[in-house]
Amino acid sequence: MPPAGIWVDGLVQSCIYVTMAFGMVLVFSILGILNWAHGQFYMLGGFVVYYAVTAAGIPFPLSLLVSGLVVGGLGMVVERVVIERLTAPGYGLLSVTAATNALIFFFEGFAGLAFGLMNKGMATELPGLLDLGPVSISYQKVAVIIFTLVIMIAMYVVLNRTKVGKAIRATSQEPNAASLYGVNVRWVQVIVMGIGCALAAMAGGLIGLVQSINPFMGRIPMIMSLLAVVIGGLGSLTGAIVGGIMLGLLNSVIAYQISYYSEVALFMLVILILLIRPQGLFGAAPK
Amino acid sequence: MKKWYNVLAILVTAAIVLGTFGMACEQKPAPAEPTGPITINIGLPMALSGTASPWGKIPTPFREAWIEIFNREGFQVNGKTYKLNLVQVDDENTAEGGAAAAKQLIYGDNCKFFAGHWTWNFSAIAAVTNPAKVIFVTRTGSPDALPASWGGAYDPKKMPYVVFGTPSQDEFTNWCYSIVDAYPNYKKLGILDSTVGKGGPGWVKVQADLDKAGIKWQSEWFTPGTTDFAPIITRFKEEGCDIVFVAGWIGEYMAFLKQRWEMGYKDMKVACSGPFVSIDMYKMVVGADALEGAIGAYEDNSKFKITKVNPKYIDMCQEALKIAAQKTGKPYEYTGEIKWVPAHTQILVQAMQKAGTVDDPDAIMNAIRGGTFDTVVGKWTMSGAETYGSAVNFGDTGALCIIKDGKEVYLSEHPMEPIP
Repeated sequence: MPPAGIWVDGLVQSCIYVTMAFGMVLVFSILGILNWAHGQFYMLGGFVVYYAVTAAGIPFPLSLLVSGLVVGGLGMVVERVVIERLTAPGYGLLSVTAATNALIFFFEGFAGLAFGLMNKGMATELPGLLDLGPVSISYQKVAVIIFTLVIMIAMYVVLNRTKVGKAIRATSQEPNAASLYGVNVRWVQVIVMGIGCALAAMAGGLIGLVQSINPFMGRIPMIMSLLAVVIGGLGSLTGAIVGGIMLGLLNSVIAYQISYYSEVALFMLVILILLIRPQGLFGAAPK
Repeated sequence: MKKWYNVLAILVTAAIVLGTFGMACEQKPAPAEPTGPITINIGLPMALSGTASPWGKIPTPFREAWIEIFNREGFQVNGKTYKLNLVQVDDENTAEGGAAAAKQLIYGDNCKFFAGHWTWNFSAIAAVTNPAKVIFVTRTGSPDALPASWGGAYDPKKMPYVVFGTPSQDEFTNWCYSIVDAYPNYKKLGILDSTVGKGGPGWVKVQADLDKAGIKWQSEWFTPGTTDFAPIITRFKEEGCDIVFVAGWIGEYMAFLKQRWEMGYKDMKVACSGPFVSIDMYKMVVGADALEGAIGAYEDNSKFKITKVNPKYIDMCQEALKIAAQKTGKPYEYTGEIKWVPAHTQILVQAMQKAGTVDDPDAIMNAIRGGTFDTVVGKWTMSGAETYGSAVNFGDTGALCIIKDGKEVYLSEHPMEPIP
């Protein structure tokens, strides 16, 4: 049985994957695309929080919100300028896939030029350790867990208790019917892209507490959150949460058990899950 | 009207042709012998963009200051005085960038020597410098981590005009000795490296050397891109490792430092194979508390206790640090560059003096092979038959520092035996 520290570590990883995967699923449900640059919105969020905290002196929780607004806004611009045009009738899925892949390198290059390549971090925020006897956990990790919970609760409220949330859910289920009931589907798509990118940005801001921020930090989390989405079931928000938690915990536990072979084992497990249940744990089987 | 234009065009063309011919025929007086110091351009392909650029950019004020101080006296060869001009070109720390930078430095900037180079593209650069007989003083990376895309590993026989530094694996082992010197009562030394080098000849040699020296060690590996080290830290802890040496990967090193502290293992000392490029950066990323107990390479020659360094060179380095601080307008504490441009240029200059020429690369290389050089990081004898292997270039002293109260403090030193 792995020690408690490994489970805590897995939980922190899970928080990041869940937040990212949730945003990715939202975008997929409404726009029908996988945003391959999701990890770069995560990276940009990390930088926005870093500068908001260190340069502007904005408290960390507010900085997280700022990063959500700024990067979410950027996501909306990307939707209007790039994705909308490439998802118009006549263009294949390949065009938008190529475009979002191009955005990976564009945003990384931009970040390198604008923010520099040296690692940055916010280790001075919330210093200190919580000693729980057999296990110690830094306040920063506690903050990651708490803020993730807050974000997920906020998302639950937005999706279930607000007009926008209802419009999003209606559009994800049946866009044509939603449109007939007066939902502006185009605006829902733009808003959802903004929310998805905002979630990625806030995950990036959170990770800045425990890991370094640099232009290339988004690549691995993007792959992991994509795996979480696939395990959970494409289009399922519950699946994204469960998939994210599973992946984070498994990643830590397997790495503890078998060290650097863990990735082989982890990805084999993912393939096995998909072979047994191709639609993912919570995805609907194709009709 | 058109006719007049034609006539005018013919006259102008004729004037230009005659004028050019006349200028070409004019007997010019022989150029006067320069009375002041003669400048020798030293090329430095350097990572000024890309992920390694902080290590290229941060030391630049120090490099420039060192050359400035060195040029006050310059150096004499056959009664003539020379000074150095350091020309840096971005090599992007890629094989292609290195080759392009080398071409620019040789054919564009007229550099006859390269010095101070430490990025991993040395084989690609050597492929350009070697045919041009440009002497190139560089590092020697581990052959494990040098695939063909980087230009491959060093080959002394094919590269007779390249002066290679200590092989990375020997440097690494030397630092391990230095750690054990500092903590003779250690329980077990953990070694963490990327899977990139696992099983290669460099790693095999490290294992054999550590075993031969009777060092108790335990290795763990991470795949490139790993950001979560908690499982590895736990494994090291369970194996009884009280000191962990993270080989060569700064991002991973910082993550390891921070995460071991977050797990409550603040007493676990963590070493890395490079100098601390910026203490402030470490504090921002790792946190001041987690940074305590971090061990890194140390090139501040004013603090060496075993390696003997000419006091004049120590003063020059200290002054260069002060000038760098003035230039940057803030305290300048990065001493990691000392073993690069200063040491490399000293090897070159002393070799020119021994050879009695600044123009004959064969004579200068003959002086380098087997020669003894007095540098800012001590006096060392280069190996003979092979052009690499001298401990003169980097890592030779095995000097380490530890972070105490947020500052680098001398920890230990294990000068390397010259390789025969």
